[in-house]
Amino acid sequence: MVDELLFFMEVLVGGLLAGTMYSLVALGFVLIFKASATFNFSQGAMVFFSVLAFCGFMQDFNIPFVLAFILAALLMVVVGLCTERFVLRPLMNASEDTVLMATIGLGYVLEGLAQAAWGVEVRRLDLGIGDFPVPWIADNLKLFISALDITAGVVAAIMIIGLFLLFKYTKIGLGLRAVADDAGAASSIGIPLKHIMLLVWSAAGVVALVAGCMWGARAGVQFALVDLALKALPVLIIGGFSSIPGAIIGGLIIGAVEKVLEVYIGPFFGGAIEGWAPYVLAIFFLLYRPEGLFGEKIIRRV
Amino acid sequence: MSNTSTNILDIKNIEVMYDNVILALHDVSLKVPKGKVVALLGANGAGKSTTLKAVSTMLASERGKVTKGSINYDGTSIDKQNPSQMVGLGMVQVLEGRRCFGHLTVEENIISGAYSRKLSKGDINQELEKIYTYFIRLKERRKSQAAFTSGGEQQMIAVARAMMAKPKMLLLDEPTMGLAPQLVAEIFNIVKELNTKEGVSILLAEQNTNVALKNSDYGYIIETGRVMLDGTAKSLLSNDQVKELYLGISKKGRKNFRDVLKEESLTKKKIN
Repeated sequence: MVDELLFFMEVLVGGLLAGTMYSLVALGFVLIFKASATFNFSQGAMVFFSVLAFCGFMQDFNIPFVLAFILAALLMVVVGLCTERFVLRPLMNASEDTVLMATIGLGYVLEGLAQAAWGVEVRRLDLGIGDFPVPWIADNLKLFISALDITAGVVAAIMIIGLFLLFKYTKIGLGLRAVADDAGAASSIGIPLKHIMLLVWSAAGVVALVAGCMWGARAGVQFALVDLALKALPVLIIGGFSSIPGAIIGGLIIGAVEKVLEVYIGPFFGGAIEGWAPYVLAIFFLLYRPEGLFGEKIIRRV
Repeated sequence: MSNTSTNILDIKNIEVMYDNVILALHDVSLKVPKGKVVALLGANGAGKSTTLKAVSTMLASERGKVTKGSINYDGTSIDKQNPSQMVGLGMVQVLEGRRCFGHLTVEENIISGAYSRKLSKGDINQELEKIYTYFIRLKERRKSQAAFTSGGEQQMIAVARAMMAKPKMLLLDEPTMGLAPQLVAEIFNIVKELNTKEGVSILLAEQNTNVALKNSDYGYIIETGRVMLDGTAKSLLSNDQVKELYLGISKKGRKNFRDVLKEESLTKKKIN
């Protein structure tokens, strides 16, 4: 009995921590959705692009770890800058659908550029953190939990706190929230949309890099990272497209639910339900709570 | 009115097109003297909002363009400006329909108006207190989410937010739309106060002809994109045409729809 409980705990905690990796990817989507009211289809490509560049700097140019990370982060700011200048600004007055389509195109460009610059083979990313159980926890709590999962959890926590502080207490954060509510009114009182877009796309780029590092360390830096980002979709539906805490908690829910279901219900379906269980959960949310758990309610005065 | 240097805003014969095909303004000229309140009157679709957006350069975001004529603000042409530059020059538009940031608190809404100014936290608080002396109601509701405040309060938020940018000139687009008569009076009292105490010049677009003229110095009446009539507010209020068409009062007394129908049926009988 105790063994069963321990096993359940292990599955649950493992799932929750793995979920923070989804959260990290979802964070990038939320940032851009807040400012542009657009689902950024290129987020997956940004994850792939950023982490491949990071690996490339380290492995092809022998740049030390920290410096390579800073360079990759700067590169993502440049990507944000170019996106604002060459994609968003010309589409400033276009409909949201047009911008959505543009992000799909941007995704292909980034995927192509990344592979043209750094090659197509799978790269190994060593963060110095193993993807195996931490001995101390295994000995004392009898839980087998991966060090990488714990790191992802801590990193996600730091990022959410940082972003929360940025939005709530800084001037540019206030500007961003204003633009998210009504871009026209924001520009009428002199909030420059340009700066806000630049900030948001750069921040989303850096978040993509962090998410990419975590996933790359686990699964190898490869093209599959692009599709993996789509796992963020059910996370966003559950957490709410416009909520940063929602992205985090949505990720935790998806991570925990898919692991628990896989272990306990999976065998009845012949296994591998991890792949589609989150989407089933997302459908229920779409039916009964379309704004997600933490999404901003559409406020209507009556 | 003839001396150009006393005019903060000078619009000369502008024509505005949307999407390169839809002609919204044919020929509009108007002047706003420094420190005065000017009313721009007309029915829906007459071109009031378009005129204001041409001035604040917000037209571009709606695919509109000034194709003829010129607009001078404070002595310089606004040709090459964008909305945030206009705010920097001291011209702020309060858009039609209030457009508050619904998820932000009342106070955050107002503070957001100071975005274009480089102010310290202390300066912002000082400015806030000054703004609250005009909008006493908002101080009580400073912590509530803007979307849950009443229509009148939202209009006050929108004006207060614009005032935080420290404008020399305000463009108000239908500030009393959908408000109860007491609120209309309250809003206009605040607008007059801002005008006299802060010295802000005001161009306001209104359908509420009577109240607007009573609170303005000068008025322009536009119809289908053309200025039809202009004059001091007093002269317009006593003008027979204005009375009949916009105030619903004719020489024979009040005219309503039933009278119009009666006249029509009489003329029909005559024809038969």
